Amino acid sequence: MKSEGFKRHGSNSYVAEFAENEREILINLTEQIIELLAERADHGQEDPLAAMVGITSHDSPPEDEVLHRLLPNAYQDQADSAEFRRYTESTLRSKKQAHAMAMRMYLKSAEDGTVDLEHDSANAWLGAINDMRLALGVRLNVQERTQDELELLAPDDPMRGVYVVYGWLGWLQEGLIEALMDEN
Amino acid sequence: MMVKTDTRIEEQIREIFSSDAPWVTIVWDDPINLMTYVTYVLMELFGYPKAKAQALMMKVHTEGKAVVSTGSREEMEHDVARLHEYGLWATLQRGDQAI
Repeated sequence: MKSEGFKRHGSNSYVAEFAENEREILINLTEQIIELLAERADHGQEDPLAAMVGITSHDSPPEDEVLHRLLPNAYQDQADSAEFRRYTESTLRSKKQAHAMAMRMYLKSAEDGTVDLEHDSANAWLGAINDMRLALGVRLNVQERTQDELELLAPDDPMRGVYVVYGWLGWLQEGLIEALMDEN
Repeated sequence: MMVKTDTRIEEQIREIFSSDAPWVTIVWDDPINLMTYVTYVLMELFGYPKAKAQALMMKVHTEGKAVVSTGSREEMEHDVARLHEYGLWATLQRGDQAI
């Protein structure tokens, strides 16, 4: 990984340069998030009028652990949670997809690898990067494993590469937040 | 005209007219979200100064959860939806309910 991460340029510009392989990894991750969220859509089974106003037939949480973390329950009470989900889940899905799509668009058009964000697009990036970290973190079982266990993953363990990308995304996100919070 | 209502609707009507039972939004600790990210999201979404956002984040981190906003049920549903949009693990409940 070569990028030095995001740096603040002037009052509302956050710039990073990405190597081609870094750009490809990030584009790939945005696409995976967009697809994953689309899997949760109802594929034409829902009432089109209800769908138009954002009501879905989903009122139970996703069975997939990653999707469940991306689209969590809003109440500890199951009945309240189900009702809230019915009216809001499709909006939440669309918003998360919009973050990932914005990030993908910036990366796709950055043919020389330079990305220049302003405040709002930086927030979309932060949300999208976070969804990627949540997805990878759930698959890595970060909840159960200690940092040391993850550091000691064998080089041939398929989870090793996932852990490297997970760590790199955290570093990239942290740098962008520091640039955004830098008052000067 | 007689209007038949089930207990749930009656309960909801009572909620609308009871002004003294505020609701709360709770953020739960999460091993994935970075501490700086949680602080930043609380500053952005609620307009909290950095010191307040950091204190709330530390409470989440050390105690496992923290109340980050208080208001009507509708307002708290809005807050939870925005926190979910940015990947924080949040729920809402009645303020007088044990957390």
